[in-house]
Amino acid sequence: MEEDTSSPIRRVSSRTRKVASKMAAALASSDNRAQAALARLEALENDNAGMEMQETNEDDEASLDDDDQVYMQKKMSKSMKRKTRQAKALENARKAPRTFIELLHEANLESLPPHVPSYLKAAVGPPSSTSRRHFCTVCGSAANYTCIRCGIRFCSCRCQNIHNDTRCLKFVA
Amino acid sequence: MQTNVVVLDNGGGLIKAGLGGERDPSTIIPNCLYRPLSSKKWLHPSPTSSDDPTDLTSAAVRRPIDRGYLINPDLQRDIWAHLFSSLLHITPAQSSLLLTEPLFAIPSIQRATDELVFEDFNFSALYVADSPSLVHLYEASRRPTGIVSKAQCSVVVDCGFSFTHAAPVFQNFTINYAAKRIDLGGKALTNFLKELVSYRSVNVMDETFLMDDVKEKLCFVSLDVPRDLRIAKKYGKDNLFRCTYVLPDGVEHTKGFVKDPAEAQRYLTLTDGDFPAQVGTNKDLDQLQVTEKREDRKRVDLTKNEFELSNERFLVPEMIFHPADLGMNQAGLAECIVRAVNSCHPHLHPVLYESIILTGGSTLFPRFAERIERELRPLVPDCYRVNITSQEDPILGVWRGGSLLASSPDFEAMCVTKAEYEELGSARCRRRFFH
Repeated sequence: MEEDTSSPIRRVSSRTRKVASKMAAALASSDNRAQAALARLEALENDNAGMEMQETNEDDEASLDDDDQVYMQKKMSKSMKRKTRQAKALENARKAPRTFIELLHEANLESLPPHVPSYLKAAVGPPSSTSRRHFCTVCGSAANYTCIRCGIRFCSCRCQNIHNDTRCLKFVA
Repeated sequence: MQTNVVVLDNGGGLIKAGLGGERDPSTIIPNCLYRPLSSKKWLHPSPTSSDDPTDLTSAAVRRPIDRGYLINPDLQRDIWAHLFSSLLHITPAQSSLLLTEPLFAIPSIQRATDELVFEDFNFSALYVADSPSLVHLYEASRRPTGIVSKAQCSVVVDCGFSFTHAAPVFQNFTINYAAKRIDLGGKALTNFLKELVSYRSVNVMDETFLMDDVKEKLCFVSLDVPRDLRIAKKYGKDNLFRCTYVLPDGVEHTKGFVKDPAEAQRYLTLTDGDFPAQVGTNKDLDQLQVTEKREDRKRVDLTKNEFELSNERFLVPEMIFHPADLGMNQAGLAECIVRAVNSCHPHLHPVLYESIILTGGSTLFPRFAERIERELRPLVPDCYRVNITSQEDPILGVWRGGSLLASSPDFEAMCVTKAEYEELGSARCRRRFFH
């Protein structure tokens, strides 16, 4: 009797292995999702996206548009003579403002004794109830459904269609 | 010899600056440089009080402050130089400075700030204050018989541009081990609104200043989110939250505006009960006002460059109360206050709950205080009273406290002078400020 039951169990276990491979994929994707969620939170603190890129572009344009292009080139070549490229890069790196997160890492607040209040300890910490309300990303009302591909929430068929057409997998893939 | 004290509330969003002893700061400017599309140079924004039509459309923004802390001293130097020379008209070498700094600034940032003040600007003396104690000072002096000044303690909830702090203050000192922070402020809310509007109607991802205006004019705090969501789903007149914001077109309007302010105010008719019964009176009111305006409202959106908001208006400020909804692993504002109070001595709890002070620009959302009270009440023991005070001008509250402190006779003794800084260096001077 026991041997009989054991064989189907083995078969079941083989099936769970199949599920497990899927689960592994799902886990990988959920990791992606977590990363996407973090990136979106980061984006909430952005000032103006793509600003730095614009700046370099416009600076190039400015130097080209200027009438005194020759003068600019002279100036450039002069400064280039004095500084090697490496030195310049080093200087730029030193000048570039670092983000607060970098400064925070540098300050090494984790090494402080536990009774000293610091930036890290002042964070309010996780909420007491883990329940999270979900809002439809398309229309904003309470969302009961989850996109099976990217995990974003929506509330109705209509919103699902809009979601699929516009930004499914946009933040994840 | 000692002439004037410059009081500088160096916020992430706005700099509030003026001379100590005065009631209001003489200038308020955005703490940033901006570059409009038409220009190649970074420009200084004009003070918020003047309304000269600077074109802020799609302007790129550089801010010296990231997550509340000064990370770009060079940029800050530019902004301050402009502020001191052309707006305040002071000579730093002959004045001392009262500067606000957020709680828990890390030493490298403090050092950079000191260098900026003493080495770049040559101020004769510096006092660094934290904003909760200044707000407490101001509120205590305003109501000498109130509980804040009698008990000499309060919880200051500062919901500003970069983050939100709940910090208990005891005898004019911020209890730093009890201060709690939520990493959400006005900037994150504006960005969240930008994201929502950009996906749902018009791409406004570059329009920081415009969306700030939208947020300030149209967002409010909901007292009952599920009910309001249901109302926001309705069509036509029944949807009390729908309103239209007109984008600037650069010809007639250089600034965006709310299309129908009466329409935008309709949510105020919602009372504590269930669905409002008096929609009819509203309709009459609308009809009385302008008839041609209603046809205007129905015209196609795309040509007129406008967008509609409905549930975004309350879902955006909602994030401060439930950061978990955004996916942040942080407690909401009410819980934040409770944790801040619970970190203090139990004897202080009842009096702290009775003297909660709201300050910071993000508390200006309508019904903010009401909502906190509702969320706080179930979390606070029954026998304690909860009393929430909103400052009359939450943006200026910190500055007024600073002005008060700067005019007090002890102020000079509390400062670090330039000579002391040169003798002792930044770190040892900082010990004097006890934070």
